[in-house]
Amino acid sequence: MSAPPVVDGRAGGAAAPARSTTPTAVERLKRRIPLLPALVLTIVLTQVPLLGTVYYSFHSRNLLRGDAIEFVWFANYADILGDEHFRTAVLNTVVLTASTVTLSIALGVALAVLLDKAFLGRSVVRTLLITPFLVMPAVAALLWKHAMFDPVYGLLNWFLSLVGVGPIDWISELPMFSIVLMMTWQWTPFMMLIVLAGLQSQSPEVLEAAKVDGARAFATFRRITLPHLRRFIELGILLGSIFIVQTFDAIFLITQGGPGQATMNLPYFIYQRTFRAFEVGESAAAGVIVVAGTIVIAIFALRVILNLFREEG
Amino acid sequence: MATITYEAATRFYPGSERPAVDGLEISIEDGEFLVLVGPSGCGKSTSLRMLAGLEDVDEGAIRIGDRDVTTLAPGRRDVAMVFQSYALYPHMNVAENMAFALEMAKMPKQERRRRVREAARILDLEPFLDRKPKSLSGGQRQRVAMGRAIVREPQAFLMDEPLSNLDAKLRVSTRSQIAALQKRLGVTTVYVTHDQVEAMTMGDRVAVLNEGVLQQCDSPRALYQRPANAFVAGFIGSPAMNIREFAVHDGHARIGDRDVEVSDELRAALADEGLDRVLLGFRPESVDLVGPSEGFTASVQLVEELGADAYLYCSIAGTDHAGDPDIVTRIDPARPPRVGETVHLRVRAGHEHAFSPVTGERLSS
Repeated sequence: MSAPPVVDGRAGGAAAPARSTTPTAVERLKRRIPLLPALVLTIVLTQVPLLGTVYYSFHSRNLLRGDAIEFVWFANYADILGDEHFRTAVLNTVVLTASTVTLSIALGVALAVLLDKAFLGRSVVRTLLITPFLVMPAVAALLWKHAMFDPVYGLLNWFLSLVGVGPIDWISELPMFSIVLMMTWQWTPFMMLIVLAGLQSQSPEVLEAAKVDGARAFATFRRITLPHLRRFIELGILLGSIFIVQTFDAIFLITQGGPGQATMNLPYFIYQRTFRAFEVGESAAAGVIVVAGTIVIAIFALRVILNLFREEG
Repeated sequence: MATITYEAATRFYPGSERPAVDGLEISIEDGEFLVLVGPSGCGKSTSLRMLAGLEDVDEGAIRIGDRDVTTLAPGRRDVAMVFQSYALYPHMNVAENMAFALEMAKMPKQERRRRVREAARILDLEPFLDRKPKSLSGGQRQRVAMGRAIVREPQAFLMDEPLSNLDAKLRVSTRSQIAALQKRLGVTTVYVTHDQVEAMTMGDRVAVLNEGVLQQCDSPRALYQRPANAFVAGFIGSPAMNIREFAVHDGHARIGDRDVEVSDELRAALADEGLDRVLLGFRPESVDLVGPSEGFTASVQLVEELGADAYLYCSIAGTDHAGDPDIVTRIDPARPPRVGETVHLRVRAGHEHAFSPVTGERLSS
């Protein structure tokens, strides 16, 4: 790590004599001591709960029974991995995440391409398109549950009634589709912003070169723009995946994981195991599995971000 | 290959009263190397981009051969362009970069590969065909941009300051390579630069633009020897021509402490225009150091020694702007005068250029 430069205390010293700028070990330590409380706090707040979770995941504990805590090796992990509901939750999480990310990327790219063109009122449109991302997730979930999905007075059914379709009881008949629809609405702006940043970082001369080379608009997009956007799209996919895997508000407020197990995802599964069944050991094990999976995704995400800075420097 | 004709081509940028390019009239012959040169903002790049189809032509027309291309899309004009930033496709390797236009033209793969190989051979790019642009040096990228133009075998090459991102040494060698390549391929070329040395060394003809208006379009030699107006005179040549306004009395121009007779022709021209002052221009290389009895007196303000040449920056006696050198002259570097010394200078007969102080147009022939 490089040391910060020493600031010359004298004001306006135009011809200040050169001084040694390599601080001693003591100086370096002194300079960093003020950062220590923040570091300790960060460790306490993030690492201690994680270690606690790992500890519990190796012990049998149910809050409803007064048994002593017992070290059980990997029994909790074996139970969780053998649990059909857990596997359903994993599958649901994958379906929810994959479809939401795919749809929001596709819509995000389309909207970003439109927003990249100059037109009257562009900044207003851009602001309006970003708004869903600014709405609190719990509020968004409640809004969709009542204003959009409600079979009696929901807007979706009203729109469908105009073309003579329906009514559909969205949450009961198409639970996963409904959640994906709502999540896509919420995440499209995020993808759009990332892709828009990518579009605006593209050299206009490259696009002009393609024009002179005789490429039509679609060929230019497919052969020149899309490859340029690839890393931005990858970044969107990975960041989006990390966040959408953790979706809790929408499931809790709209479907409670139901009907049956239809929309049970991992966060909601862990919540139920902890606060409905009070199986602390098993839910801790499930939590550790989810964290491990998320870390794997995060490592890929970081690698992509680093590549982004290296690629077109 | 084809001729290119600008017919009173005019371009207004939205929101601007003054046209960026104002009634440009140039006919470029088949196989000719034409350089558009001028200070920044003179409309040279806009003129080139109008020819490429990247800017609209608001008035007038542009023809390539006998085709009117004024409203044609860039890709259908059959011209290839080399950009200042090279504008290589960053995710394609060198071969794919060069083949892209051919692929867009739906050329068979065999032919595509043949042309790319041929261009790579001409430009010494064969070892780099699989490399991405980011792993190439500046000079190699420049050659890829050239290659992308060559493979198309277009009607014309359009080059927009293709050398300005290279270092000084590479620029000089690439300059002669491009000129030689153009001669060899015989493709009509329009080349934009702000560097008058590039313009003079590369062009068959050079078109000087200023504020969107064509000032003069002629061979480099003619531009140098007979500039059409004071702007061209001052723009072409390095160091710039000395151009000063002098009073004229009884057929004599007063230069410093000495009266210099003006030619009968110039006297007649001045009389026609009713002028009693004249803009006289003389190049540093047309001014000689002479003995004390001849020429006008000047004091040396700065001596610039470049090895092969030396330049004296002097102020002419009898003029009052002390800080600003009035005249620059090229001298023999063997024995340069010292700063502060008084010297005597004379302009070689017939080497002066006279311009109207009102219009800036050339007066003498």
